[in-house]
Amino acid sequence: MEDVLGGHPFFAGLGADALRLMAGCASNAHFAAGDYIFSEGAEANCFYVIRHGRVALEINSPARGPLIIDTIDGGEVLGWSWLVPPYRYFSDARAVTPVSATVLDGTCLRGKCEEDAELGYQLLKRVAAVMYQRMQSARIRMLDLYGSDPAAMVPPGSDLRPWLPGSSARRMNRIT
Amino acid sequence: MIDVTAALTAHPFFHGMSEDHLAVIAEAASDVTFPAGHRLFEDGGGANRFWLIQSGQVALDVHVPGEGRVRIDTIGMGELLGWSWLFPPYEWAFGAVAASPVEAFEFDGQAVRASCAADPALELEVTQRVARVLAKRLQSTRAKLIGASIHPVGTR
Repeated sequence: MEDVLGGHPFFAGLGADALRLMAGCASNAHFAAGDYIFSEGAEANCFYVIRHGRVALEINSPARGPLIIDTIDGGEVLGWSWLVPPYRYFSDARAVTPVSATVLDGTCLRGKCEEDAELGYQLLKRVAAVMYQRMQSARIRMLDLYGSDPAAMVPPGSDLRPWLPGSSARRMNRIT
Repeated sequence: MIDVTAALTAHPFFHGMSEDHLAVIAEAASDVTFPAGHRLFEDGGGANRFWLIQSGQVALDVHVPGEGRVRIDTIGMGELLGWSWLFPPYEWAFGAVAASPVEAFEFDGQAVRASCAADPALELEVTQRVARVLAKRLQSTRAKLIGASIHPVGTR
């Protein structure tokens, strides 16, 4: 389990001791395409290290049903809420493809972080960077929704643009 | 010149921070004003500053080729503007322009990063506070996304 964690980009640079501590909180999980991994509003007790597959983050629009706001692929991590109050998930997470993940128990991990301040800081630093990425994705998604009317932030037609996985990232590349 | 340390102590972002840490942060702070229309930063530029907005509003925007500048969010009174200074590659992902006259505390992000590098406890404090702001902002941005999907268009 330590090797699995150590081989994941999120944990790059962490020492063997830190990996051993975290491995005590870890188990493996598999999700079928379409499975919900977690739901908005639920207590955030798991941190998912995605090894293979793709996960969609969704929010529920009363008008339009599920709205994909971000996608997470193998080599990335899912769930930062376990580390930041109020420890609740802010969106749904759904497996788009079959997903293999290492699941770290949030309560267990927070305990290890309290025991070992350096591990706590290393995880916080990495998780904050993930939140920063999610924030950028959410804003780019806002741009997708609002379309291209610079004056009004209002989308140009009576409907939203269809969203394709990766479109935000492509748009981001185009912009920056 | 106002007493920056006293003003920062009263700000929710710094609530509960030790006097020593506040003093270090205050060293990197100055009070600034911007007229409406003043551009604080451009997307893609080096991110070495951040602001706590005291009054007024700042619009975040991006340049979309062929479409000009598209506004994506607004940062208002009491809010933190700018966190790209804390995350590699330290580049602005978006631009920012004063949407009204703005009063703010401006911080030298490079100086704060250097202080953090020298003091892990300060680094932890700052990262924790930014993470909490990010969590709240993510929540509100997701709520705005829902709003955008309900009232999509041409409704102005």
